Amino acid sequence: MSVQTTDVLIIGSGHAGGMAAKVLTEKGISCLMLNAGPVVDVTRQATRKLPDELPFRGFKPPGKLEHVFQASEFNANVWVDESEVPYTFNPLHAYNWVRVRLFGGRSLFWSRQSFRLSDFELKARSRDGFGQDWPLDYAELSPFYSRVEEIMQVAGAMDGPPQMPDGNFILDKEPWSDSMKRFMAAAQPKGISVCKQRRAVGRDGLASSINLLLPDAERTGKLTSVQNAVVRQITVDKHTGLPNGCKFIDRLSHREMEVRARIVVLAAGTLESARLLLNSGLANSSGVLGHYLCDQIYGAGIVASVPEARNGRADKKLMGGGAIVPRFRNISDKHPKFLRGYALNVTSTTGAMGANNFAAYGEELDRKMDEYYGSGFHMTIMGEVLARHENHVRINHEKLDAWGIPVLHIETQYTDNEYNMAADAVDTMSEVCTDAGFEILATNKRPNPPGYSIHEVGTARMGDDPKTSVLNRWSQSHDHKNLWVVDGSGFPSSGWQNPTMTILSLSMRASERLADEMKKGNL
Amino acid sequence: MERRDVLRAMAVIAITPRWLLAQTAQNQNAAPALPAPVPWTLGLNPRTPLPQTTVADTVAETTPSYFSAAEMATLIRLSDVFMPKGERPGALDAETPAFLDFLIGHSPEVRGSLYRGGLNWLDAEAKRKFQKPFAKVSDDEAGQILKPWLRTWMTDHPPSQTHADFVNIAHADIRTATTNSRQWLDSLDDRHRDQRSQLYWSPIEPDVYAERPTSVHTRPTQTIAAPKSTHEVRSYPQ
Repeated sequence: MSVQTTDVLIIGSGHAGGMAAKVLTEKGISCLMLNAGPVVDVTRQATRKLPDELPFRGFKPPGKLEHVFQASEFNANVWVDESEVPYTFNPLHAYNWVRVRLFGGRSLFWSRQSFRLSDFELKARSRDGFGQDWPLDYAELSPFYSRVEEIMQVAGAMDGPPQMPDGNFILDKEPWSDSMKRFMAAAQPKGISVCKQRRAVGRDGLASSINLLLPDAERTGKLTSVQNAVVRQITVDKHTGLPNGCKFIDRLSHREMEVRARIVVLAAGTLESARLLLNSGLANSSGVLGHYLCDQIYGAGIVASVPEARNGRADKKLMGGGAIVPRFRNISDKHPKFLRGYALNVTSTTGAMGANNFAAYGEELDRKMDEYYGSGFHMTIMGEVLARHENHVRINHEKLDAWGIPVLHIETQYTDNEYNMAADAVDTMSEVCTDAGFEILATNKRPNPPGYSIHEVGTARMGDDPKTSVLNRWSQSHDHKNLWVVDGSGFPSSGWQNPTMTILSLSMRASERLADEMKKGNL
Repeated sequence: MERRDVLRAMAVIAITPRWLLAQTAQNQNAAPALPAPVPWTLGLNPRTPLPQTTVADTVAETTPSYFSAAEMATLIRLSDVFMPKGERPGALDAETPAFLDFLIGHSPEVRGSLYRGGLNWLDAEAKRKFQKPFAKVSDDEAGQILKPWLRTWMTDHPPSQTHADFVNIAHADIRTATTNSRQWLDSLDDRHRDQRSQLYWSPIEPDVYAERPTSVHTRPTQTIAAPKSTHEVRSYPQ
């Protein structure tokens, strides 16, 4: 059997892998990309339907995707099915692992909020003594953010406080609605900033690896991609001890295959990358691999109503628009009940409000829903989860997935730091709503289970000390110089920010460094 | 040509070469072909009309199989109280109780227990307060039992307090099952009905879940329809 050797093997095709492919191939390096799932063609595999045309009238198929709260009967087939790729956890501490294996990964479906980390996150330990600082600072990361924002076409306003640095934006010049202005006026005395949302506009309504990154790589003629390649293990050269490719299984036929590469770039998404490294027995001389899994708390928040918008009086001047409240806790003061902080997504809505916002049924509910139509004002939390050693993943050798690969056991739970943060968010925002003259309809202080945010990061954290970190400051394994991990697993801490811009920036930075090292003959 | 026709045409064009390949492969393995005027899979093309079908709910009834007769009677009354017929069809017009029997019956046991426990509690409350089953209570009497347990709640976080959990979750399910029914959607004008459509993703093969013998995807739901044919279909070893 002849196995062709490629320069760089990239495992994963989402934002992280797509960026690596773009940067490396544009520098003339040949890449082979493997993705566990198929390429999907929306014109063939999706069609518009009404809920009554589906077997469960739009309800999530029962018993399926129990840990994907985002799933509905319409999109149930795009998520990874737990019965196909199981994972285990302590039943008292469920984990919501939300996965997409289609080509392009979760970059096909993300909600596109696009924020930069600041030194408040990157150097958080220096400020509060908890965890580990990142081995790089904002000044070093900032130029990469600017280039990523150009590619992803990030829209926003230059209105961020220091903890939410401004960027290379398509300027959002839409005026604020009056309801937002009232919210801002009520928040201001508490030292709370309210800023324009920041989101990747992308092109043609999509900001994915498959339309913004991979076409550039394909144009170079240097990228070869294989779909349905479920990687079992990264292989190692017997003589040098260095990774030299991988074994994979064809998803449909279960045929076992092998490829060779000089460099391996891992971009399978935080937990799949950790699983693959653990299953391969690589990159773990520190014993830290799999540890410090963190994400962000979601699910806590408030639903309110703007009284002046009721009874058909809502108009575009009064209602509409979204805002981000950047973290305001533990910036210039110290909160007694928790470290770090949270941000809030704020939305002024113009449509119908959900029935669960009213303790009524039947005709009374119909009247309420008519009355409150177009008056909704929503706030939901995005809070930093502390990176703790005990929140970790390991291989469960007792259980195999559909391709016979040992599955992940995920052991993680939130602590009082996260619960206190959620409670503070609801209490503080309740005061702001009341001061703004809004009526509070529903509140929730219980965060969704860990993983729900789909912002899982950590497990292969970067750092300068090989004894306490898996990757160096360039996203390169301390143990194996030709193994690079460019997805969210390298994060030493989560911050409150959606991680995509940072994943893209780190992948770009790592890939340029990798290309330089190859050019210098260091790899 | 409508968009959906264009897509359908594209789909067929994209698939056709595979059929040809499949047929070639088949012919290689099969016994010599019998003389026939036309190879038998070549008739379909982008102009082939698709037969028009309707959803089964409009012509058939589900045979309830999960809830007991008493539980079903309670669920029917509860559905009518929560979603009475008004300008739009009510829960009973939408056959919501029968649909929920199917949905809950196929769900993990924890959901079934919530429903069974809740329905039996409602019935017991009605007998305690009004000396009659819940199925026979008036709207006002039902309100006296239900209203103290109504809560407001945020998505994914229904109340967890006993009784409040069942009342609010059942209310939400009854609403969704009714407003997503053919009967309800047919009562909307074209614009509002179109707004209710969403992008549906087909299974990405292999759908391991669908291939499981217990899967409801591969098991037709019980319906009152034409009796099964008695004629025998022989099978041959592959």
